[in-house]
Amino acid sequence: MIRLAPDQSAQIRRTEKVEFTFDGTAIWGHAGESLAAALIRSGRLHLRDAPEDTDPRGAFCLMGLCQECLVVLEGQTVESCRIELQPGIDVTSLRYGADG
Amino acid sequence: MLLLCGTAQMADLIDILVVGAGPAGGNAALAAARHGKHVVLLDEQVKPGGQIWRAKDSSILSAPQTPESSAGDALRAQITKAQIDHRGSTRIWQIERQTEGWDVHVLRDGQVERLTTKTLVLATGAHEFVQPIPGWTKPGVFGLAGATALFKQNLSPPGQRTIVSGTGPLVFFVASEICRLGGTVAAVVTPNTRRDWVAKLPALARRVDLALRGALWIVHLMMDRIPIFWGCSVVSVEGVARVESAEIQKLDANWAPKGETWSIDADSLCLGHGLIPSIEAPQLSGVTISYRSDLGGWVPDIGEDGATSVEGVFLCGDGTGIRGAAAAELHGTLAGLSAAEHLGARTAKERATLRSRFNRAARFGLAMTALSTPRPGLAMLTKPDTIVCRCESLTQTRIAQEVEVGAASTNAVKSGLRAGMGPCGGKYCQTAIARFIAMHENRPEAEIPPSAPRPPLRPVPVSALSADFDYDDLPIPKPAPL
Amino acid sequence: MTARYDIAVIGGGIMGCATALRMAEGGMRATVLDQGDLGQGASGVNAGTLSLQIKRVKLMPYALKGHHEWKAMGDAVGFRKTGGYTLAFTERESELLHERQTLKAEAGAPIEFVSNNHIRNAEPNLTQKVISASYCPEDGYANSSLTGQYYRGRLRDQGIPYRERCPVTAIAQDGAGFALDTPQGEITASRILMATGAWLKPTAAMLDVDLPVNARINTVSVTERLKPLTSTVIGHATGLLTMKQKTNGTVLIGGGWQGRGTPQEGRGQVTAGSLQPNLALAQFALPALENARIIRSWTGFEANVPDFYPLVGALPGVEGAFVLGCVRGGYTIGPYISKLMGDFILDREPELPLFDPGRNFKED
Ligand SMILES: Cc1cc2nc3c(=O)[nH]c(=O)nc-3n(C[C@H](O)[C@@H](O)[C@H](O)COP(=O)(O)OP(=O)(O)OC[C@H]3O[C@@H](n4cnc5c(N)ncnc54)[C@H](O)[C@@H]3O)c2cc1C
Ligand SMILES: Cc1cc2nc3c(=O)[nH]c(=O)nc-3n(C[C@H](O)[C@H](O)[C@H](O)COP(=O)(O)OP(=O)(O)OC[C@H]3O[C@@H](n4cnc5c(N)ncnc54)[C@H](O)[C@@H]3O)c2cc1C
Ligand code: FES
Repeated sequence: MIRLAPDQSAQIRRTEKVEFTFDGTAIWGHAGESLAAALIRSGRLHLRDAPEDTDPRGAFCLMGLCQECLVVLEGQTVESCRIELQPGIDVTSLRYGADG
Repeated sequence: MLLLCGTAQMADLIDILVVGAGPAGGNAALAAARHGKHVVLLDEQVKPGGQIWRAKDSSILSAPQTPESSAGDALRAQITKAQIDHRGSTRIWQIERQTEGWDVHVLRDGQVERLTTKTLVLATGAHEFVQPIPGWTKPGVFGLAGATALFKQNLSPPGQRTIVSGTGPLVFFVASEICRLGGTVAAVVTPNTRRDWVAKLPALARRVDLALRGALWIVHLMMDRIPIFWGCSVVSVEGVARVESAEIQKLDANWAPKGETWSIDADSLCLGHGLIPSIEAPQLSGVTISYRSDLGGWVPDIGEDGATSVEGVFLCGDGTGIRGAAAAELHGTLAGLSAAEHLGARTAKERATLRSRFNRAARFGLAMTALSTPRPGLAMLTKPDTIVCRCESLTQTRIAQEVEVGAASTNAVKSGLRAGMGPCGGKYCQTAIARFIAMHENRPEAEIPPSAPRPPLRPVPVSALSADFDYDDLPIPKPAPL
Repeated sequence: MTARYDIAVIGGGIMGCATALRMAEGGMRATVLDQGDLGQGASGVNAGTLSLQIKRVKLMPYALKGHHEWKAMGDAVGFRKTGGYTLAFTERESELLHERQTLKAEAGAPIEFVSNNHIRNAEPNLTQKVISASYCPEDGYANSSLTGQYYRGRLRDQGIPYRERCPVTAIAQDGAGFALDTPQGEITASRILMATGAWLKPTAAMLDVDLPVNARINTVSVTERLKPLTSTVIGHATGLLTMKQKTNGTVLIGGGWQGRGTPQEGRGQVTAGSLQPNLALAQFALPALENARIIRSWTGFEANVPDFYPLVGALPGVEGAFVLGCVRGGYTIGPYISKLMGDFILDREPELPLFDPGRNFKED
């Protein structure tokens, strides 16, 4: 296939890969990118269940408004699209109502 | 001299506080600073640029430039050069009128802070409207405009194989960016027809550069043999716990779905139907709003050069109506100059020369907005069991029932159902709900305003609000009458 | 012009709606008019606390009856009887608590003082800094957001016409009663009931009556959904905190902290200066709130007169005009006191005494 819209992905230089965990599974991303970007790249799209009907949800607006990409980091509920990935962080999906 | 070195007490008085560092706010800050004003520029993004020129994150060491990244770099360089006090990662959550000027409450690094300013320039931009369709809550569905944040900030495509569906020029930009970043576009789907675009040729002729760029996107997509479905929309999303495929259907001239449907496999979908001005901050500062379908819906009432009827408050950019980035830059300069004028600078001449350029840019922007704005039939994509309020998982049926038993305003639907009481504050459901009420009650949309915004503008951790609390400082009131 | 009503109720809050229902049961043709949506005022934005521990001693019989009304309304208004604790963290608060709750218990509220062990078992997530507490098993809450929805349904079921977005802008007396100016046309009625909450002063002024009504502007906040943290209604001896976790997991936090604005301006503003200590106190009482995010804060106008007792009775000097409002704890007491108001207008003997709006208001 001729590609007129050039694929420039090979020309992008990123920081080295680092590991973090999501619900206990090791995932890699680039230090300094958003947590949401790393999760999306790794195919981890399902970040939480909607509280009322456990409908699976993930990042949606990517601009810090919709609150769909919430995850838990160090006990705090955070927007994964606004968190900078740092090596070694442990991230868990948000579960409502669950004790613990 | 004795200096008080408290924390919150230290807030010095700013001349002009600009909220939003996009094309509008960035230029407002630059213009005001040129006139010697003490300017502070705030944005919840890390760096200036706004939505269109969002900066790369710190994981990107180098990458090919795009028109957006170059324009953003230019704005960022100007802001640095002018030594403007820019504060990134700073979210405004409340605005309060004081006897002299304004208190602006911000959240930064998990801490709240109060800034005090004589005047405010609010340039908070827009967020997007997505007509709810069955399955749009599935992971892997992204806002069409939102997806561009992933491209600009993270230089990542949204998935391996993406369907791009939506209105206006943005679909083509998004599709072309996905290809550029190494993703695959399964199809481009747009309610607009080729004829809709031809009808906008006079406006396009005014911005040959942008028109050419758009034409190139389309040629590229065609050369890549990416199917473009004109006059169509994605009408539902299938998949277990994530996007696996999407149904596409033809639309009629009113954009109501009609006729054959077919399915395309994909792992992601970018979906969007135009932009909505973000008016909450202006509303919190007391600016009234009016309905203007040509500007993208409810907009704050502004006069010339971004002035408002609230003293010391100036507005500019897409937050006052979706006129696009080129107009936002000029509008920002105008509003920055107005604010400086309010504080004694002489800017009338400069503004007079800018105004006609602004009007020209706005005409082009509004032509694009007209292509992007949903036509009434698009509401038919929402089915009875489609979730409309994502935060509270409320379906159209639930909303219809509430309206049928007499809830005739967005506020009444919100109170009765919690539709709009979720963590997003109603940003992703109020417009669809207002349109639904208008349709159901056969009233004009102009009669169904969004429910009043409530602070905080963004969620604020209790720990941030309660920092520095000393129990003994509690002001114990006179006990309530027994 | 519509046919003349037996009574037009101005104000579709809990007072106006509940009184209209009572009067319609008694055979009157009533209508309810509100300047916005039904329940958009204090009745729809209050903290929803149904607590005997924060009621005035003299109003206790009304509050006890009010609790029965709420129980009867049940799920339709989100009623939950959870029991409630009032906490003291200092010696001074402890004294205040004992003195006040003892009087309230004597007035008929089943309030008891509980040991620290008891409260730790019942509410393990509360701070260990509680030094004494009172408990009332009757306490609970309802969901005030549902006020409009609930009364719209009740009025419709009873065939009582109501109009929303229908502000009364002028009141004229004609030979047979009253003519009300509204943007939806003139409405005539033999009698009127003013139930306009914090707007009673301008409403009465339309008939040249001066009611000394003031308004407080109370702040309420709510968190996002949280795991279960508390199961009762929590109060503070000073009244500066009320808190409850709803069944959906959100925690509603109030305490009478003042915002800014006036009913005349039509909009109240949350001030950070009130919000911060209010939420800090909430976190002090329930430390786990530290990790919660506030997603919404708002204010509402609560009306009062200088003696802080209700206005329930005839509008002084105007035959056929009545007034109901300024009830402290008016959400709790509203459904009951409205019945008394309705009975009075129906010329029936009310079960408990009313509060004459023509009295001499001396600060209590
Ligand atoms: C997600 C998105 C992507 C877009 N991408 C493009 C594009 O690629 N090409 C194009 O032509 N148009 C795009 N647009 C349209 C865009 O709005 C432009 O027309 C242009 O960015 C408008 O400039 P502005 O300065 O008015 O607003 P914006 O650029 O949106 O700037 C507003 C700024 O205010 C900040 N802000 C808002 N609220 C707060 C708050 N409470 N606290 C702190 N900061 C706050 C935001 O972070 C933002 O940086 C996009 C719009 C959106 C919503
Ligand atoms: C924030 C807050 C928290 C509270 N918390 C509690 C609590 O936890 N427990 C408790 O028991 N009590 C509480 N209260 C008190 C309680 O809410 C009130 O006492 C009660 O709701 C008053 O009801 P109302 O019908 O008199 O007034 P409102 O509900 O205010 O109704 C008045 C209505 O009149 C309408 N109106 C005004 N002027 C006109 C006009 N000219 N024409 C037509 N309509 C008009 C208004 O739109 C409004 O709907 C609280 C109050 C507030 C403000
Ligand atoms: S989508 Fe309705 S409140 Fe967020």
